[in-house]
Amino acid sequence: MHTVLVVDDEFGVPELLEFVLQEEGYRVVSATNGRQGLQRLAEDPRPGLVLLDYMMPVLNGPGMLHAMREGDYRSIPVVFMSSLDEDAVRKAAEHEFQAFLRKPFKLAELVDIVRRLLPQD
Amino acid sequence: MTQDASDPRRLADSPTGVPGLDVVLGGGFLSGGVYIVQGSPGAGKTILANQICFYHASRGGRALYSTVLAESHDRLLQHLASLRFLDTRVIPESLRYVSAFRELEEQGLAGLINLLRREVLRQQVSLLVLDGWLAVSDGKPSDISLRKFVHELQVFAALQGCVVLLLTGDARRDHRPEYTMVDGLLVLDDVRHLGWRLRELEVLKFRGKSFLRGRHAFRITGEGIRVYPRLEALLPLTPESDVPTSRLSIGIERMDGVLHGGLPAASTTIVVGPSGSGKTSLALHFLSCASEAEPGLMFGFFETPRLLIANARALGLDLGGQVDAGHVELIWHSPTEQILDDIGNQLLDAITRRNVKRLAVDGLDGLVEAAGPPDRVSRFFAAISNECRARGVTMLLSAESANFVGPTVTLPIEGISAIVDNLILLRFVEARARLHRLISVLKLRGSNFDRRLREFEITDHGIEVLEALADGDIAENAPDIRIAASPANSPVRRRQNREPG
Repeated sequence: MHTVLVVDDEFGVPELLEFVLQEEGYRVVSATNGRQGLQRLAEDPRPGLVLLDYMMPVLNGPGMLHAMREGDYRSIPVVFMSSLDEDAVRKAAEHEFQAFLRKPFKLAELVDIVRRLLPQD
Repeated sequence: MTQDASDPRRLADSPTGVPGLDVVLGGGFLSGGVYIVQGSPGAGKTILANQICFYHASRGGRALYSTVLAESHDRLLQHLASLRFLDTRVIPESLRYVSAFRELEEQGLAGLINLLRREVLRQQVSLLVLDGWLAVSDGKPSDISLRKFVHELQVFAALQGCVVLLLTGDARRDHRPEYTMVDGLLVLDDVRHLGWRLRELEVLKFRGKSFLRGRHAFRITGEGIRVYPRLEALLPLTPESDVPTSRLSIGIERMDGVLHGGLPAASTTIVVGPSGSGKTSLALHFLSCASEAEPGLMFGFFETPRLLIANARALGLDLGGQVDAGHVELIWHSPTEQILDDIGNQLLDAITRRNVKRLAVDGLDGLVEAAGPPDRVSRFFAAISNECRARGVTMLLSAESANFVGPTVTLPIEGISAIVDNLILLRFVEARARLHRLISVLKLRGSNFDRRLREFEITDHGIEVLEALADGDIAENAPDIRIAASPANSPVRRRQNREPG
């Protein structure tokens, strides 16, 4: 079973995404800021995909992405989630990410992206 | 921040399909919004929510109607069976009924939210109704857990693009945490008015778009619910056109002279007088000038079309022929237990349908009786009057004064004389051992007029206006006139056994 890491500080969002992705057969772990997200990446089971919010306290989304790409997590696909437009996020992020979801997105879009980037065996 | 239509973050409208409600809501609910629909038992919540569900399903959407009540769905559908919107073919493919009673009882709010999420995701539902919110909120959850539940529902609704309606019979609105959190609050009410009951809907809160504030009447019929948006809230949006300077004959040559050429086009005239003084006869004269170029409409509350045609015949006027030729339309309404906005809409529809230019409303008393709360008639009438002016309609409106003879003329609603452009007064005067009818003009928009009193008679060849009275004539026995409005809350007298005029 693949694991998805959800990093989002908005109350209710990690819980909902966990519910939805569990229904799709994924294991889900969550964090509410980038620093906590980096800690989760180091734990078992190691996530195969990160759903990453842009604006968060302590360490924001671009900061966590930078740490991932400069560190040991270069190959883990990242999906950015933000109410900003994609160009602004790509400009601020400096590093590549695999997909973008503009908030508020549809859950069906999220499920499609997760299935594509982290297909079930 | 403003959002234009091309902005992908702009929330889409989800129309309710309930006639009139989408006008009140500025297009419908917003996709992803959570709304409370509140009303006491019998107020119409369940019918409203089901009507919205069936409409949603008919447009290709999927709806889920969940209840936390110990009531079977079969019984619910049986109660709806007489309503024409019920189309059982969409059940269960596009509209599904589920009971969440057991989940709530056994697992609390966590079990309820998980059931709703699961069912909505499984069916890709875009409209969710939770019937029995009172049972949820009265199940003694802490404020924190109730807030958490509503928040989780909001997050889910937003990301699923699903409209959520929470139906509650709870009349309390103060200090309920969920009321501050939800995107909108609709209240259904059933108010007493002069011995009958009037259903009303009010939107107290609606985030993200403008809506029509205030109370709007609604009916439940075999078609379901129909809401009548308050016309005065809608009509001011109509842009005002230029005021024409032309005149329209009132249908009596000597009166046209008194008016210096007739009534100003696109103006509103009120004819005030006691019962039998000649108001309807004057209106029939006004309509006798209707033609293909100037279509006429009689919108009345007391005389039926057949009686009006007979009354006109007694005046030597061929109203029946004008109706047959399509120059005049007669519309009659009972003044009792009507919805003012329904009447107003029918009036405006009739004006639009035939491009009416001559409108006689007989009389204002009928509108007052249909008004519900009495304090809104003057605002309603001002809106109708403005709309008629903007459409180039010349309106003659009759209003009954309470006093048959005497110095005081009582108008049926306060402030009406300030709303109308022109005011014509009919009165009885006792002199030389008999009653005399007098006519005078008190006000004429932007124009001088003959201010002298005249006696008039109603004959078998119409109204005959006599020469102006001179000093020492019967007028010196006519006391000075004082115009007063009837008390706002007094019931308006019903006219009975009316004679022509």
